[in-house]
Amino acid sequence: MLALPLRTREGALVVPLFVAFMLLFAAPLVLLFGISFHDDPELERWGLLTWTKFVQDPFYWKATFDTLKLGAMTVVAAVLLGYPLALVYLSLGARGQRILLFIIIMPLLLSVVVRTFAWIVILSNEGVVNQTLLALGLTAAPLRLLQTELGLVISLTQIELPMLLLPLIAALSKLDRNLFDASSILGASRWRTLFKVILPLSLPGLIAGCTLVFASSTTAFISQSVIGGNRLVYLPLLIWQQTSVVYNWPMAAVISVVLLCTVLACLFVINLMGRKSMRYLHV
Amino acid sequence: MNRRDFIQWSSAAAACGLTPSAFANDAAVTTAIYPGSWEEAYRSIVAPALKRDAGVELRMQSLWAVDQIAKARAARGRAPFDTFILDPGPRVTAIESGLFEKFDASRLKNASKLPAGMIDAHGVNVAGQFVGIAYNPKKFAKPPTGWKDLFSEPYVSRLGLTGFQTTFGTVSIIEIAKAFGGSETNVEPFFTELKKVLPKVAVIGNSASMPSMFQQGQCDVMYTNTQTVGTLKAKGVDIEMVVPSTGLIAFFTTFHIAKGSKNVDNAYKFIDASISTPLQQQLMASPYFMAPVNSEVNLANAGLPLRSLDEMKTMVQHDWTKINPLRAEWIERFNREVAR
Repeated sequence: MLALPLRTREGALVVPLFVAFMLLFAAPLVLLFGISFHDDPELERWGLLTWTKFVQDPFYWKATFDTLKLGAMTVVAAVLLGYPLALVYLSLGARGQRILLFIIIMPLLLSVVVRTFAWIVILSNEGVVNQTLLALGLTAAPLRLLQTELGLVISLTQIELPMLLLPLIAALSKLDRNLFDASSILGASRWRTLFKVILPLSLPGLIAGCTLVFASSTTAFISQSVIGGNRLVYLPLLIWQQTSVVYNWPMAAVISVVLLCTVLACLFVINLMGRKSMRYLHV
Repeated sequence: MNRRDFIQWSSAAAACGLTPSAFANDAAVTTAIYPGSWEEAYRSIVAPALKRDAGVELRMQSLWAVDQIAKARAARGRAPFDTFILDPGPRVTAIESGLFEKFDASRLKNASKLPAGMIDAHGVNVAGQFVGIAYNPKKFAKPPTGWKDLFSEPYVSRLGLTGFQTTFGTVSIIEIAKAFGGSETNVEPFFTELKKVLPKVAVIGNSASMPSMFQQGQCDVMYTNTQTVGTLKAKGVDIEMVVPSTGLIAFFTTFHIAKGSKNVDNAYKFIDASISTPLQQQLMASPYFMAPVNSEVNLANAGLPLRSLDEMKTMVQHDWTKINPLRAEWIERFNREVAR
């Protein structure tokens, strides 16, 4: 059984992995925290000056809030679009499922840079969306879609959708179809079956998907800077500027730590809510 | 193969000199190179010529200037490549951080073909960059004439603006500031004027995406270099370059030898090939449009805004030792001013 305590000899086998983990993952994080507690770009004076500067500046607070808001909006859009698609997947035969799965995975095979630049072509003034709207007479002038939060959320939703769908489909596929039949035999409508049976049972997959989409969209530097432009300021852009252009590594470290901690806190909340709702369902 | 065999064989291989340090002695040189057209040009033109003429293999790491400096600084001043390729701003930062070997012009056979002032103790110029105003001739009845025009109609509502993150962005903003009464160290008038027109500006974005934005009709006027204009034109984009009334801005892309490089000889051979007449001539042609530094290159039909390299002296140039200390502050200010 897995729960049996490991013997010393077997426990020793874990040591190389533990050492590698400490060296490659924990040590850089410790360094990152260490650098953030420096007062000067030359990393000569220890202190809280950089943190004070960050905390006292409303500009950084707004950028932090906007970054988390972007993640939340992308998660909501991806769930609204992805959940029905996952249900469609569930209702298809084996052949249909294979085709749909391939279509879902296909964007992952393309570089995110290519997908991002493709969205410039789609959303621009002379792009497919605007030209269609103009041709149909639905708008007199091209809509401004690039360099807006709306355009960014639309593109990030497409870019991140596979991240939501893959765990969701995995969770849905494992469900016992007899439960759906039992629900309808007991008199539940299709909607009631969806909300009371399918949705609760697929929650672990949905939460895993939301976690991935949130973490990935809040840190999507390329899409944020190319589609969002400079007027939408998010933390990854500030990290890049401070690291590579300004060479103020303490400030870059502070912003990185803030991004890491706030994203982790949000993921913790998403997971907590998921677990709470599951507990409620089983009472 | 069992574990013992594996250890024996790998020890034997190590003894034969198949260790990473041994590779440093191969006839090869690793250079940092800008991603995109620079990388393509050097892969297709310089690398084969260097292999053929000097027997040296060219390896490339595609990195922007700022990323090269960040990498070298992260490695405590020991860059993971033999030569840097930089623009003036990062060049000054690298000199101040002591990232270069002292440059010896006497080791370049082609040094005499470069006009005076192109080589110093830190490195050598390899290409000129000319920055002016690019616009779409089909969208405007008459072209903009100077930097001030960019902030007035009809241009401002079609303007694609980039910030201080690139060399060409920084120097263009300085020129806009000068047009409104500022100077090389005072860009305040730029921010004052920007505030007035900010809601009208078509695009405020990242320099790498600006050519795509122009191509897609998101903006119809921007400041950029002749190389970008040439590349877009070759793709059939409606674009023309205007020389502003105050003149084009000129600066140079430079090569430097990284401190602690183990391939210094090969690095000089590589740099020497890059500034040689035939290669400079090829690099200047379509589709790369790199302005030469070698005075033997025939400038006819190159589409460059100059007839001889001497004309560069009359172009607008900037002192990066004055700009660099102010740049971090300008970048932060720009972020705040343009943020929604």
